[in-house]
Amino acid sequence: MSLSISSPVQRRATSIWRSERLLPYLLLTPAVVVTVVIVFMPMLQAVYTSFYDLILFRPSASRFVGFGNYVKLFNDPVFWTALWNTIIWIGLTVPLQMGLGLVAALFLNREFPWRGLARALIIIPWALPSVVIALMWRWIYDPNTGVLNDILIYLSIVQSAVPWLADPNVAIYAIIATLTWQGFPFFAVMILAGLQGIPRSQYEAASIDGASTWRQFVHITLPGIAPVLATAGLLRVIWVANSMDVIFVMTGGGPGYATHTLPLYAFVKARQNLDFGYGTSIAVTFTIFLGAFVALYIARTMREVER
Amino acid sequence: MKFLRTLALGAALAASAAFGQAKAETVRFWYHFDNPANPMSDLVKKFEAANPGIKVEAENVPWNSYYDNLYTALVGGNAPDAAMVKLFAQPRLAEMGALEPIGKQIDSWKGKADLLDNLLELNKGPDGKQYYLPIQYVVLYLYYRTDLLQAAGLQPPKTCEEFRNAAIKLTNAPQTYGFGLRGGKGGWDQWGVFVLSQGAELKQGGLTKPEAIAANQWMIDLFQKDKVIPPSAPNDGFQEIVAAFKSGKTAMTIHHIGSSKDLVAALGDKVSAVPVPKCGNGQWTSYGDESLAIFSSSSVKEAAWKWISFLAEGQNNVAFNSATGQLTVTKSGSADWKLHERRFVEATVQSLPFARVLPQTSAVSEFVNTAWQTNMQQALTGQITPKKMMEQLQTLFAE
Repeated sequence: MSLSISSPVQRRATSIWRSERLLPYLLLTPAVVVTVVIVFMPMLQAVYTSFYDLILFRPSASRFVGFGNYVKLFNDPVFWTALWNTIIWIGLTVPLQMGLGLVAALFLNREFPWRGLARALIIIPWALPSVVIALMWRWIYDPNTGVLNDILIYLSIVQSAVPWLADPNVAIYAIIATLTWQGFPFFAVMILAGLQGIPRSQYEAASIDGASTWRQFVHITLPGIAPVLATAGLLRVIWVANSMDVIFVMTGGGPGYATHTLPLYAFVKARQNLDFGYGTSIAVTFTIFLGAFVALYIARTMREVER
Repeated sequence: MKFLRTLALGAALAASAAFGQAKAETVRFWYHFDNPANPMSDLVKKFEAANPGIKVEAENVPWNSYYDNLYTALVGGNAPDAAMVKLFAQPRLAEMGALEPIGKQIDSWKGKADLLDNLLELNKGPDGKQYYLPIQYVVLYLYYRTDLLQAAGLQPPKTCEEFRNAAIKLTNAPQTYGFGLRGGKGGWDQWGVFVLSQGAELKQGGLTKPEAIAANQWMIDLFQKDKVIPPSAPNDGFQEIVAAFKSGKTAMTIHHIGSSKDLVAALGDKVSAVPVPKCGNGQWTSYGDESLAIFSSSSVKEAAWKWISFLAEGQNNVAFNSATGQLTVTKSGSADWKLHERRFVEATVQSLPFARVLPQTSAVSEFVNTAWQTNMQQALTGQITPKKMMEQLQTLFAE
């Protein structure tokens, strides 16, 4: 039935589409509508909620407090701890994932037997659910029964078991290592795709000119995958910044506040303490910070890439 | 236009389908079982066979986020009709107006006389009304490795001093430690054994009393100075303390009868239990309750009552507890209790005289959910002093 009516509709549509000004809007409309309804409306609601003193189990005591939650937030030492942890969290995880991903991609781009299998296997950490990964690593790190300490003691690298997740100075780095392991395949696969797009002739020309492998890497490979690195890096910054599931399962933000990041703090406040006013004010503040960073990143990186 | 007509038709169809189903009442029920052998579907089958008009949708919600999910569902208007609930949540639920009083139903229920004495009294709501129907209970006691204590020439400790001395003797770090402390989520009841027993109370001024601060200092010193607790303690939850105890890493730990089957399977006769030690002049242990409640938002309250009272009756309750590994609330079920080894039941019964529940205030919910854990971890890892920990926790109870 759809076939029989499609031709007149199509003709009319084509005439509208010819006026090319409308076309982009028409194509964007479904995405925009969905985004407005499921992203922007809740965001506005969150901003609105953050101006209220709203504790979920005391709905009747809710009242407007203006910027009260934000004033409280900037005087809250836990907020500053969590902000600093968030900076370490993003600042280490994304470059480490990218670096490891780059090395893996360069390796996988070479010819060697069973390459196809290696390419398939490397995706496994990325394909596992975060909660599974978090539980797995929680046991790997366990000082009493975990395998990591066993190996380290066996190799005489440490004398006694290290409480990876129970030491406030180490816990966040232990989780960063876990997330690096989980996220590097994403970079590896993206970079591998980028590498395959670089014409072989460029390398041939360079080697005829006598360029060393390192110079070839710096002047051909890196510029060739720069757009991929920029885009994948941006995506990862956003994902890593917002991901708290692994932290939540591995330490719950502890010991103390040692692994609290801002999204986790917002979650704990809103969902565990049911203090939605304060929780959303943390979330809104973090969104502004992240938005500013992303805007800066796009402005700088994309310009570099386009050059 | 045509699209709209199709849509309307579809909506009508969906509505009639929903209406058709609504004739058989559906009770949505939330519970949490850790045990993989889950008899819930058998219980549901048995219930539905006896009550043809009622369907039960029982959902096993993971414990770690059970209350987060429950509160959110209640506020979001998508709450179940009935659920498993603990006493510490009752003041919050009552404050939300989420609970349905069930005192009348209990009074006219044939199972009431079969409930163990005093349980209904313990479960009363903050306003004196009855919202909770007891379903199981446990009491925390001290697990110890009989072989390790014997090898060290020790008797199970009866006082805090004996406990500390035994723990020091049993410690041979980093191979073995005297005591497995749960410093992560849910460890407040272990802490209570040593601190709430010595005069600390969860109320205004109750935590900053000199004796309370001294008790907390003693507890933290076990970890920091005496080093009788594994260094992993600040992040250890239930799974970790049980794994360490089973592997012989720790010689004593505190938990309830719920883990006894698992421990006996791993250790056999090498594990036994006694009531927790007496500290100072007091002895405190946690009465671990679990009840069933009906929510005021439910549209099938009568059916929900039939279902929850079914679970609290004689053999059904025994089947329920065979999954949770806890103790039945019925007299008929207790009479020939075979689910646990005798020694663990005895340790539980001997602990009942000094078993307590936490005061029912909203601040206690926050204490249990997040505040205790964060502050305890900070104190254990030396980020704050034990005194500061008590002062920070005290701010919760400033009213």
